[in-house]
Amino acid sequence: MNRTFEIMSEDPETGPPLRAADTPQRFEFTDLDLVVNIRSGSDEEEPNLAWEWSDEVAWEPKVRLSMSSETANRYFQGKENMAIAIARRRIKAVGDVKAALTIIPLTKPVFARYRQMIADDYPHLEL
Amino acid sequence: MTLEQAAAAVGVSTGTLRRWVRQDVVPQFDGAWTPAAIGQARLVARMRERGHSLADIQRATEDGRLAFGHVAELFAAEDPVHSLSDATDATGLDPALIERLMTTLGLRSTPGLTDDDLELLRYIAAVLDAGLPLDAMLQLTRVYAQAIAQIADAEVRLVHLYVHEPLMRSGSAAAEMADELVELTSDLLPLASPMLDQLHRRLLAHFIEQDVVGHMESELELASDEVGRMRVAIAFADLAGYTRLTEEAGELHALDVVERFTEAVSVTLPDDARVIKTIGDEVMIVGSDPAALTAWAVGFQRLQTERPLPRIAVHYGYALYRDGDYYGREVNIAARVVARSAGGEVLVTRPIVEATGSELQFERIAEVRLKGFKGPTEIFLARPGGAESD
Repeated sequence: MNRTFEIMSEDPETGPPLRAADTPQRFEFTDLDLVVNIRSGSDEEEPNLAWEWSDEVAWEPKVRLSMSSETANRYFQGKENMAIAIARRRIKAVGDVKAALTIIPLTKPVFARYRQMIADDYPHLEL
Repeated sequence: MTLEQAAAAVGVSTGTLRRWVRQDVVPQFDGAWTPAAIGQARLVARMRERGHSLADIQRATEDGRLAFGHVAELFAAEDPVHSLSDATDATGLDPALIERLMTTLGLRSTPGLTDDDLELLRYIAAVLDAGLPLDAMLQLTRVYAQAIAQIADAEVRLVHLYVHEPLMRSGSAAAEMADELVELTSDLLPLASPMLDQLHRRLLAHFIEQDVVGHMESELELASDEVGRMRVAIAFADLAGYTRLTEEAGELHALDVVERFTEAVSVTLPDDARVIKTIGDEVMIVGSDPAALTAWAVGFQRLQTERPLPRIAVHYGYALYRDGDYYGREVNIAARVVARSAGGEVLVTRPIVEATGSELQFERIAEVRLKGFKGPTEIFLARPGGAESD
């Protein structure tokens, strides 16, 4: 996931729009008992996105998304529709879920690079 | 072009054309009837048909309101030099079919055919030769004509709203405005075709993929015996209380809400579904997978927090596909059911419940006689699946 966030942050198609969206998010990967908080870079010196694998962060998430690592893997490969996953309870969204709607199209350009990364380095996660 | 030819092209007498030149309503005329001057004279003819006096036209010309008309010089009008029988000889298409095609394309304003018309008809003949049935070609022609007309209309309106009007408000001189608009259009015009071509190819690839998937998944179903009928999931979504919102918050705010709503629908839809049309705040969506479209509707409602909340209805059945749209009884049922729902709800019919299985929860809430239908229709409220039903 660190590499995925790095891709999202550095990709010219996703990084700047996500920074501009300024929507702090909290992801909980239920099967791994892991939490990551992600926010926009705070000034021009920082990368577009900053994240910490902890709830001990100095900012309040706007959107809290909870899902299994398998669902996250499907989502970043472009094979999990956010609205359908919410209806089928594979993703739980709490907070300013309207903000999640803004984020969805912004993350789509990264799917192809994520799939490439999976194919190159984590083939067991290919779908 | 001679004065006589120019007068024929504009559709007025030579005397009228002379008078217009004398009264300075054709400033593009500099002693020669160029395409630009003829384009301007055509504009004057149209204004006169609509009842505007020459004095009004003169004032509008002076203050730059007609400056956009100069752009017409970029689209030099061709002479209709070919007859129907010439076109039949050149393309092998029946004269009656040529007339029908030209009408469908919205190009039937002159008695003859231009070189461009002939070129277009050659393309159509080649498509038919390649094996596309005539009925499909006629439908495709109608869809092309409607879609391209909408694109051209939007291009003109947006340049008018965002370029021409600001120029007028800035007090620019009429000639300066005309130059600016002609220059901008010259820059934009060559970009439009490649952009449309690229977008068309990408969307074509997407829909071919969806069609292949749809074919594979429906091969075990009973085929419809009528060409053009297909079994689809149909959803209608609109905003509850939109009329009141327009009254209370104003048209611009309401329009903004609708734009955000339709964009949110488009970006969240499953891959096999697409927006067929929007009418005001109402969106019609068609997909091949009823379970996915219903789950989308339920999930989409969970992503809504602000009023006005959407109302969504989903139905599943055979619809008639014509001219890029879907018609028939089943479409009407979906449209009627959405009128029964409240903001935040997803209402569905029995075929959806049967096709969706246990991944969502359905509560039978009514059996109603929908307006215009004789028999009763069962209506169910759809909710997220699983243990929680909050």
